[in-house]
Amino acid sequence: MRESPRRSWLPLALIVVGLFLLIASEAGYLVPVENAFHYVLDPLQRVFSRVAEATGNLFQTVREVRQLRAEVEDLRAQVDALTLENVSLRDYRAEVQSLRALLAFTDEFSISGYLGADVIGREACDTYPCGEVIGEEPNPYLYYVTINTGSQQGVEEGMPVVSAGGGLGLVGRIAEVAPRTSKVQLLTDRESAIAALLQTSRVTGLVVGQPDGTLRMEYIPQEAGIGVGDSPGSGQGNVSLGDIVLTSGLGGFMPKGLIIGQVTEVQQMDYELFQTAVVRPAVDLSRLELVLVITSFEQIPLEEPPPEEP
Amino acid sequence: MHWGCVIDLYLTIPLLTSVALTQTVLLSRVDLWGARPDLVLLVVLVWAVVRGVDEGAVWGFIGGMTIDLLSGGPLGATVLALSAVALLAGQPWGRGIGSPTMRLLLLAFVAVLAHHLVLLTVLAWTGYSVDWGRAILGVAGPSALLNAALAPFVQRPLVWLERKVRRERLFTL
Repeated sequence: MRESPRRSWLPLALIVVGLFLLIASEAGYLVPVENAFHYVLDPLQRVFSRVAEATGNLFQTVREVRQLRAEVEDLRAQVDALTLENVSLRDYRAEVQSLRALLAFTDEFSISGYLGADVIGREACDTYPCGEVIGEEPNPYLYYVTINTGSQQGVEEGMPVVSAGGGLGLVGRIAEVAPRTSKVQLLTDRESAIAALLQTSRVTGLVVGQPDGTLRMEYIPQEAGIGVGDSPGSGQGNVSLGDIVLTSGLGGFMPKGLIIGQVTEVQQMDYELFQTAVVRPAVDLSRLELVLVITSFEQIPLEEPPPEEP
Repeated sequence: MHWGCVIDLYLTIPLLTSVALTQTVLLSRVDLWGARPDLVLLVVLVWAVVRGVDEGAVWGFIGGMTIDLLSGGPLGATVLALSAVALLAGQPWGRGIGSPTMRLLLLAFVAVLAHHLVLLTVLAWTGYSVDWGRAILGVAGPSALLNAALAPFVQRPLVWLERKVRRERLFTL
């Protein structure tokens, strides 16, 4: 039954309220109100997420059986190849150990390998806050996920987030924090920009998200050149296909050495100041389940400029 | 606003919150060539068609608020976008053109496009870099087609709900 035309002021009034909300939200006045709503919405979102996960897992298991069979075949082949590689690596290790002993090098060598199982394993949840992804971004033009850890667990804005299952690597950073949930801005969001470097060539750049959900490494100096051949590191100082892209740690917002992705294409124009590389994310950001929030890390010390000689 | 409308909020708020949660937890994962089913939008659209622009706008406001609270975007963006949908859908456009289903399909197509245009405008206004060509051709267009096709499926349960609500109101009065 249609309403009488007498009350046609209501939609316009609601639009005005909507505009007011937008302006107040942009000015940052509504954070306490949003947090209050989150107290109600967060538990509901968790319940919905649990139900959806339980139902989805049932269907997904059936769907993935075929895919898993193919993966098992691939993995068997990989195991064979790795077994052979392992044999030769054991030989190398024995050789390295004897050489290190000769050089009395072992005690002085410090390994800075914080990336890997220590950071990414599930057991790390005892040390770092782990977050389960409980919601996807409803706005089709933004790339965020909601995780079930918030300020009560010590999460703060800007903290790096890495994946804790499946593909290993950087996922994004905390953009908004509520008491029990946080919103993670994914690497693929248009507003995301991470200082990065290429593993083999050590060339630096900026990895930015694209509207189609891919990544681009921009501001790579032209002097870096393009690697000869398709193998990573085919030329020192070059940008090569397959090169691993890592966080550079510049700016102090991210730890150095987190895996971002792999170069799949290099776009170079002679007349441009910089070249660009298309980067495939190391993590499948559309299938995130468990992530890890890095709450503290060692920042790169800023180098003091050398004192000017008189 | 009469008391019936206030009492209806007891139904509206849990219903739209559930729909918005379903949208964020389940449907936002669906991506068919850039198109996403938008259940909150369809519910607001159909309710505005069935009950008129006023109730449609109230549903748009509540649904939009919930979506904005669950989103990483600015609060108020979806409120404005869904209000635009309610305003469009609540008008007596094209009465007498084709069958009611055909009118709903056309209206849904136009309303989804309007929703995306408002959303993109708000995002651009609040400082997000928007690739208009890609957004309209790659996301808004496919989403308009998909959601227009889904609109009749959302209409049936909501028409049933509207009849039930109307009957209960009659008994109450």
